[in-house]
Amino acid sequence: MILDLHSHSIKSDDGRAKVPNYCQWIRAREIPIDGFVLTEHRQFDFESDYSALAKEFGLTILKASEVETEYGHVLVFGVTEALTQTFDFTDIHLPLAQVIEAAERHGAVPVPCHPGRKRVGMSAHLEEYGVPQGVRIVEIYNGGSRGDEDAIAQNMAAEQDYLGIGGSDAHIVSQIGKCATRFPEKITSAAELAEALRGGDFEALNFREQI
Amino acid sequence: MTELLDVEALRAKFLNTVFDEKQFELTAEDMSNYAIACGELATRYTDPNDPDFQAPPTMPTCIQPKKRMPKGFPKIAGLGMDAGKAVQSYKPIRPGVKLTGKTHMHDIYTKTGRSGRMVFFVNRMDIFDSDGEQVAWADTSIVIRERPKE
Amino acid sequence: MTIATIKDVEFGEELPVFDPDTSLENVKKFATAAHWFGPRFTDHEAARKEGLPGALVPGIMSQGFLAAMIHRWAPQANVQNVDTVFRAPVVVDEKYHITGVVTDIDEASGRVEIDLTVTNDAGETRVFGTAQVQIPTG
Repeated sequence: MILDLHSHSIKSDDGRAKVPNYCQWIRAREIPIDGFVLTEHRQFDFESDYSALAKEFGLTILKASEVETEYGHVLVFGVTEALTQTFDFTDIHLPLAQVIEAAERHGAVPVPCHPGRKRVGMSAHLEEYGVPQGVRIVEIYNGGSRGDEDAIAQNMAAEQDYLGIGGSDAHIVSQIGKCATRFPEKITSAAELAEALRGGDFEALNFREQI
Repeated sequence: MTELLDVEALRAKFLNTVFDEKQFELTAEDMSNYAIACGELATRYTDPNDPDFQAPPTMPTCIQPKKRMPKGFPKIAGLGMDAGKAVQSYKPIRPGVKLTGKTHMHDIYTKTGRSGRMVFFVNRMDIFDSDGEQVAWADTSIVIRERPKE
Repeated sequence: MTIATIKDVEFGEELPVFDPDTSLENVKKFATAAHWFGPRFTDHEAARKEGLPGALVPGIMSQGFLAAMIHRWAPQANVQNVDTVFRAPVVVDEKYHITGVVTDIDEASGRVEIDLTVTNDAGETRVFGTAQVQIPTG
């Protein structure tokens, strides 16, 4: 199963894509993914229910979050209501250690995203803060990366022995599916996604040249 | 010691109150030159002699209020940049028509970007014709990369 | 081919790529028409002194490019809304390419939504946005 693990809808301040249009686009353009995860900025979107849409288009649509820490932005998969009570998702100065500790305690999985990017990427902060404890996975393909940002991420992942995922970081419809992650088993829920990430059996994919 | 903006306090104090009102009109020459520079080919935007001549639909975003920020708004250290523009057009704007632009602060929020903490200010100008009918609105999103005071 | 009515539009259709004129001369003409006279738009040296990579194409001009691109594709289109996010500077005298794709169609009303992206030669996104456009229904 192939999921785009990083996307934004109009629920994010800079997102301009409606979720039904993502679905329509994936099917019309035959984007080679089976679903996507909405990782809205600084929030978890409890109110939206995409199950009918997912059924209509035969896609898996899951929800997660993108929060902000001193090491840059971090995707959190497997968010639960209890987890959202442990720290303020809107805070743009969250300590990464707190995010990791809380995520692990609540069965969620933190993944620093676009880590090769200036300021908002983890690699830019290693010299100042050192290598953080508890990171196991980073995003090594990001559809919004410029220049050598993905290469920096991949080098860092190799040096630190991190696993890698891929996500498009789509903010408009036509960006969805540019990068993604392949899992051996079918995933139908956020909890299963977190479990699959913890299991470590997945592969980051880059479709930017194909679609 | 750093001193960052208290965004919630700013939102409570300044959002959704009109802080600027200005009268203006667009000339046929400016409308045409604006359209041509943007690469427009449609004569209703480029040729003042076209019977349907009108301002290009995004032109309302170039209208600037007399005051950039509400009275009493704190001065912010940092380089201000244009972060985005949005425009909604309700009816064509013809040359020489007297227009009124009323501006309010529509949103304030923060995020971290490639350049550090950034504060976004979104000002919206609602534009009305002389009959009081709204012809457009235009949002200007300004981002300031904060420079914490040492 | 240009679009005359909504029946000509297909979901996922790509608009013809538009390479806008970002020359200093053209930006100066635009700045005059827009009454935007900041040297950061019309003077490379002054812009560099501000810490910028060079004179910038005003964001409102990028937005104007997007609307012009839509009208080149569909000359009778009524562009109702353009919402743009400026991700990185668009620098005067550098080459950019604007792409657009139709991401939503309502055939009954003639309304379409278009994704728009301004990229540089390296394929990096500088500006993205969406437009809502009314196309004649028949």
